[in-house]
Amino acid sequence: MNTTNAPAVSRQLPATRRPGRTAARLLRLELRHNAMLWMLPVAIALFWLTTYRKAMAMPPLWNLRATSMQSGTLLAFACPVAGAAAWTGSRETRRHTTEMVTVAARPRWARLLAAWAAATCWAMAGYLACLAVLYGVTAQQASWGGPLWWPAAVLAASLPAFSAAGFAAGTLLPSRFTAPLATVAAFFVVALSTQLIAGSQSYWQVSPLVTGPWDTGPDAGVATFYPYLPDLPIAQVMFLAGLTIALLAALALPRGSGGRGLRAAAAAVTTAGLLAAGTAVALAGTGKLDAHGMITIPALHDAASDRPVRFTPACSHTAIPVCLNPAYASYLPATVTAVAPALSEIAGLPGAPVRISQAAATYQQQAGNAVSVRLDGPPISGRPPVYHLLLPDQLLGPTMTTSELAAEVRSSAGPAIVASVIADRPGASQAQHAVTAGLIIAAGLPLQGLPPGTTPAADSRPGVRSQPPPEVAPGSPAYAAARRFAALAAPARHAWLMRHLTALRAGRITLRQLP
Amino acid sequence: MNVEITGLTRRFGRTTAVAGVDLRAGPGVFGLLGPNGAGKTSLLRMMATAMPPTSGRLRLLGRDPGRYGQRRQIRRRLGYLPQNLGYYPGFTVAEFVEYFALLKEMPAARVQAAVRVAVERVELGGKAKARLRTLSGGMLRRVGIAQAIVNEPELLLLDEPTAGLDPEQRVAFRALLRDLGRRATVVVSTHLVEDVGAACAQVALMDRGKIVFHGTPADLAARGEGHGIGDAPLERGYSAVLTGVRS
Repeated sequence: MNTTNAPAVSRQLPATRRPGRTAARLLRLELRHNAMLWMLPVAIALFWLTTYRKAMAMPPLWNLRATSMQSGTLLAFACPVAGAAAWTGSRETRRHTTEMVTVAARPRWARLLAAWAAATCWAMAGYLACLAVLYGVTAQQASWGGPLWWPAAVLAASLPAFSAAGFAAGTLLPSRFTAPLATVAAFFVVALSTQLIAGSQSYWQVSPLVTGPWDTGPDAGVATFYPYLPDLPIAQVMFLAGLTIALLAALALPRGSGGRGLRAAAAAVTTAGLLAAGTAVALAGTGKLDAHGMITIPALHDAASDRPVRFTPACSHTAIPVCLNPAYASYLPATVTAVAPALSEIAGLPGAPVRISQAAATYQQQAGNAVSVRLDGPPISGRPPVYHLLLPDQLLGPTMTTSELAAEVRSSAGPAIVASVIADRPGASQAQHAVTAGLIIAAGLPLQGLPPGTTPAADSRPGVRSQPPPEVAPGSPAYAAARRFAALAAPARHAWLMRHLTALRAGRITLRQLP
Repeated sequence: MNVEITGLTRRFGRTTAVAGVDLRAGPGVFGLLGPNGAGKTSLLRMMATAMPPTSGRLRLLGRDPGRYGQRRQIRRRLGYLPQNLGYYPGFTVAEFVEYFALLKEMPAARVQAAVRVAVERVELGGKAKARLRTLSGGMLRRVGIAQAIVNEPELLLLDEPTAGLDPEQRVAFRALLRDLGRRATVVVSTHLVEDVGAACAQVALMDRGKIVFHGTPADLAARGEGHGIGDAPLERGYSAVLTGVRS
């Protein structure tokens, strides 16, 4: 040991200490050696596997990408950060340094906070990088709208909460098994928290995995025509922040963690954190599904959010223009092509729509977690008449590729447009059924389709089409009349309809009177 | 006096580890000798503020460690090497010492220089960037000493500091102890009496929780003249005192 070569450090302490600088150096040391740094590749790989690929397979709609990111990324990062934080929290006991660090002047709480912050910082850095990539790519692809920040904020609040929970577990139950157990526990807590959700008034909606009505999954119809409602995310952030604060403050409660003042303050902050978390749970329980597909919480709701979003629709330059919300602009060519055969049959007829316009869907909570999605009001209305169209992606169910969507529009929207012009709804005459079917056949559309006048609901998912009404089933008189009508030349059909459409719509034409 | 102990007692259930110890120590190297289970480590841990006494009065560096604010002031000026050194294998030597310098609330501006000096003093300058997992047991012990002295403590408590050091290192360490003892109170708990003879100005011998001898190493050696068992005068004195107490 050297007693002469090394100069002794001056014993004079400077007049002022800089606790911020010391804390920053401590954090830098912790960052260099934190287990979360080694878990980042795992988290990013999980993100890529479970979230990024799935999100990129979805249409480039901000709402779809943001909500799918919230639920997927949570699992990808929450489990690793809980495990890494538990590993860090149990370090002093595992490495037998407890006594050495206990006799150091820095309070236990401040020391532990630096270690926790390191795990959280790495998780947050990884998450923000993934968010930047996903939102960056979406920004390149999306035709309209902008990033939704509330789902990102919920995730940003989730990581400190899971990190704090893991760290507290590691500190309280230090062993080499705490970290893997915390990882598994985090997974089950996240996954099972949603199993108890029943309807939109469930307290369990406070789970950060929930982005809207549970069991519907990311829905393209939400937050396109109306602003994204931050009510539920606010409650979730409040819950997660309260939990984080309570868990971290609780670390300062044991004797020896700090002075009496610090421990009293920690007790107060723990209580405040628990109260905030409890309040958030109670608020989530008052939520309800609104007509626009989002969860409103009356105490947090801003009525200004109920106003529709202003936008200039993307329209086709066809005889009957087809207009879509600009977010769906990439679907316009496929949609125009899909409805073109039906529109060519009805163009120029009295009562035919002058425009096909995409409309907002209306959501309604059903029993349990079921949700019905439908068009609010008749499909055709106004003077001059406008046909209101719901794209299949606005309905519940898996998102579609452009070709799948075009096929669905062709087989469901096409016949529905024809039926709306003929006023072929439940209770209509046999002749109306026959003419509608005839025009559908003539347009080369499948006779199968959603029953005219009805709209899809949660239990009638797009792609699951009903059979034609029994009146026009093959072999029926109406079917025979439909085939005859379809066999007419297009000008003849058009001319007959121009003369008789008003009477036909009024139900005054019989099957025998059809050409 | 940097250490003032009056009637200090520590019990673990029915076992009394330290039984009414009185001790005063100023600057200099103070050796704490005793057989296994004598209560040396318990006494040292109380002096290190790692464990509160069951009863008795303890003042360190003129302050009461029972009060949080004063305990924190003591800890800023304290160095402690426990018997079982824990360490973080991924840290380098310099990082580990820096970590403890920061925990001891050294001003950030002084940390880098203090770490360099502490690492040099234990002759690990060439290994400053080596990860702790790559070091031998003796080197780790020296890292432990470096973290204890990094803040230039006024009260340095070392529990079996020479365990695992080779003879050359032990000689160097004794020189370091003497150097540190010029300004600080250094309490060395050991069962190696030659360490005490070479470095300590004062020595206390503990047995069954009590101090049974307190004096200079020369006094202890004198107690062994014509009595006791051992190869060296101090060993004979050690043995004679213990035999006398137990009989």
